[in-house]
Amino acid sequence: MAAALLKVSNIETYYGPITAIRGVSLEVGENQIVAVLGANGAGKTTILRTISGIMDPQKGSVTFDGQAIQKREPADIVARGISHVPEGREIFPLLTVKENLMMGCYLRRDRATVARDLELVYEYFPVIGQRASQQAGQLSGGEQQMLAISRALMQKPRLLLLDEPSLGLSPRLVKDIFDIVRRLNEERRMTILIVEQNANMALQVAHYGYVLEVGRIVMEDVSASLRGNKDVREFYLGIQEEGVRGTRRWKRKKVWR
Amino acid sequence: MNRTSPAETDGHDPGPGLVIRTDSDIGGTLCSLFWTRVQQWSSEIIIRDKHLGVWRALTWHDLGQRVMEVALALDACDFKAGDIACILSNTNKEWLFVDLGILCSGGVSTGIYPTDAPAQVEYLINNCQASVIFVEDEEQLDKVLLARSNCPSIRKIVIFDTEGLQAFSDPMAVSLADFSDQGRQLAQSDSSRWDEMLQRPTPDDLAILIYTSGTTGPPKGAMISHHNVVFQCVNGCSLLDQKQGDERLAFLPLCHVAERVIGAYYSLYTGTVINFCEGPDTVVENVREVQPTVFGGVPRVWEKFYSGIQIAIAEGTAFQKWACATALNVAFRVVDLNLAHKPVPWILRAQYQLASMLVLRNIRKSVGLDRCRWMLTGAAPVSPQLVRWYLALGLQLLEIYGQTENVGMATVTYPGDVKLGTVGRPVPYGELKISHDGEILLRGDHVFMGYYNMPEKTAEAINDGWLHTGDVGRIDEQGYVSITDRMKDIIITAGGKNVTPSEIENELKFSPYVSDAVIIGDGRKYLTSLVMIDHDNVAKFAQDQDVPFTNFASLCHASEVVELIRGEIDRVNETFARVEQIKDFRLIDVLLTPEDDELTPTMKLKRSFVSKKYKDVVEEMYN
Repeated sequence: MAAALLKVSNIETYYGPITAIRGVSLEVGENQIVAVLGANGAGKTTILRTISGIMDPQKGSVTFDGQAIQKREPADIVARGISHVPEGREIFPLLTVKENLMMGCYLRRDRATVARDLELVYEYFPVIGQRASQQAGQLSGGEQQMLAISRALMQKPRLLLLDEPSLGLSPRLVKDIFDIVRRLNEERRMTILIVEQNANMALQVAHYGYVLEVGRIVMEDVSASLRGNKDVREFYLGIQEEGVRGTRRWKRKKVWR
Repeated sequence: MNRTSPAETDGHDPGPGLVIRTDSDIGGTLCSLFWTRVQQWSSEIIIRDKHLGVWRALTWHDLGQRVMEVALALDACDFKAGDIACILSNTNKEWLFVDLGILCSGGVSTGIYPTDAPAQVEYLINNCQASVIFVEDEEQLDKVLLARSNCPSIRKIVIFDTEGLQAFSDPMAVSLADFSDQGRQLAQSDSSRWDEMLQRPTPDDLAILIYTSGTTGPPKGAMISHHNVVFQCVNGCSLLDQKQGDERLAFLPLCHVAERVIGAYYSLYTGTVINFCEGPDTVVENVREVQPTVFGGVPRVWEKFYSGIQIAIAEGTAFQKWACATALNVAFRVVDLNLAHKPVPWILRAQYQLASMLVLRNIRKSVGLDRCRWMLTGAAPVSPQLVRWYLALGLQLLEIYGQTENVGMATVTYPGDVKLGTVGRPVPYGELKISHDGEILLRGDHVFMGYYNMPEKTAEAINDGWLHTGDVGRIDEQGYVSITDRMKDIIITAGGKNVTPSEIENELKFSPYVSDAVIIGDGRKYLTSLVMIDHDNVAKFAQDQDVPFTNFASLCHASEVVELIRGEIDRVNETFARVEQIKDFRLIDVLLTPEDDELTPTMKLKRSFVSKKYKDVVEEMYN
């Protein structure tokens, strides 16, 4: 079993008086893709923000490569090798595509390798290369998502945090994005933590999964078992038995076994 | 209020000295009781429930109308006197309309737990050969549809809430709204039929069937007559001050004798307003909104309130914690003196008044129990420490004892007459004695008629004129009854020692971290336990202690949690004898719900079932 590159322990993060996550612990092993599934408001984005330092947890610890990183400055955390692709892309609309990418490797000084990484990114995402001198705000949703991921890759992260990469994208584009996520993990051995509402796509690409409900983990398992679990199928994959009347509207009680 | 002299101990008949009341105004059947009240109190409020967040009230007149519509509609669809109808729904006002409607049409009403699986529903329908079944909604309807092909007796299905069923149609099925419409039209066209129907039932007719939870063997239908219920209402209500204008909260399952008789029927007899809870999850909020004046609950309810308050205190400021601790300290001293019938020094009494006014009253108000004149606990054993705590808080928590088979109360604790560890005194309208092997026997008009179509089981239960309760108990010199345990549950260790598991389990359950526990040890060298933890409280503990966990199973496997429970078990072991020590335990690492076979609908672990299902885990503890 691979050693945990990232270990989150008992974190409690608040938005003012509201407890967004109340005691979450999870692990991401080196070279693994781990998915955190949850509905809106479950606390998924809050977990990623806590890891990347945008938010400080009230309690608990985040350990990366053996070092405690909770409550550190986000810039410090980026320098240690964690890149966060935020929810909703958040690319810089008035900068060009190339400028966005250069912002991504802001902390790096090694020009030669930067140039090589740029080529790599253009190889993964040809359309980014084609639009290199266009204003980023003019790109379509799917292209912006690819730009956001590329920008994160430019920092040569050891751990990539992806917040809802499928948000607002067409099914075909979602498939393309997830194919790239898989390639990044297989070819570049990148460790990835994906937070997703689209449980179906996430479970196809992840090795391990956690299910988050209202700030608490209710289930964790290898993704094959999660795909077969009754509660995950009904509540996250939309697969419901027909029932005796041919249509079933009422929901089973969740048991998380 | 008249009381008999305390019952005598072992073997002797208490004999004469019973105090039996009758009420000639209300007739001899539940139907006549109901209709008398409808006419007597027609514009008074009797029911409240919440609709879209707003409480609405129904008067006796409204209730009478709804019941009449159901009864007439049943009559019109060939439902004859003596026919049986089932109700498969959570506790709501329609449950009551339909229950009374069935009774007024001369039929027999029987409830099914809404958490039962389709197979269980099928068993119950076939056991009583019910011809009509009332279901709450599409979820319950699906259970009946699955069972229907094996239930030839069913000819009509009436659905309370048709949401989601627009596309559904079935020759047997009809909505309650349409069903009641038929009844309304019949009321207008034939106004004498209703009065005819009301005259039909006689006191000795079978009125309701209550199926016992069947922890050992399949459920048995206890046959309860009109007289049984009226007798309990008239006599039971005289022991507990309850009158028109009182408010109570209905949330326990109506298919259970406690909520049906001591809850609903007592309320109908006395005019207590029945406030229906929105759902099993909103009890805490609804108690605060309703602020009931009388309250009946099972120990689990009292444990939940207790742990909620303890946690709220623990999360308070240092000053609040100090204030509560000090107030409770004073209160406990007063309570202990009261329980020992010793005088309370005036200084202490003054301190208690202050504590009550400044602290305890606020706690009571914040939970919603400040207006309660008395609160009952029954249907399961409760920890005496818990009762003492409520007394300290200034609330009369009175323990009662009874079974489905005696239609409610067999003993009652009178307000001001609490003796911890006892269930009070035998009710003055029934006889109670202890058999030579310690079993509690009952006799009187409150004893049921027998089990439906089970003459052998009936003969086992009612023997020699006495109801054999299956509970072992004692009566002390002052006349207080205490329950030792269910006869079948008493453990005899390999060393031949008798152990009563309930007592030990109660003490374990007093801990906020333990939801329920089962002691194992029959024929074994020592005792062990299977423990079901309280998810919320233990998760909070783990979080406070920085113990990482993900799902429920991982919480149970965390070593700190195991140590926490070990600590609770050690604490309990200190108060018990050497032979009663729990030597080992395991946590049930699956979050159980009432739909699981291991739990009863009232969230109690089924001892024998759990022992069998976790046999491997148990064996591991003995090797």
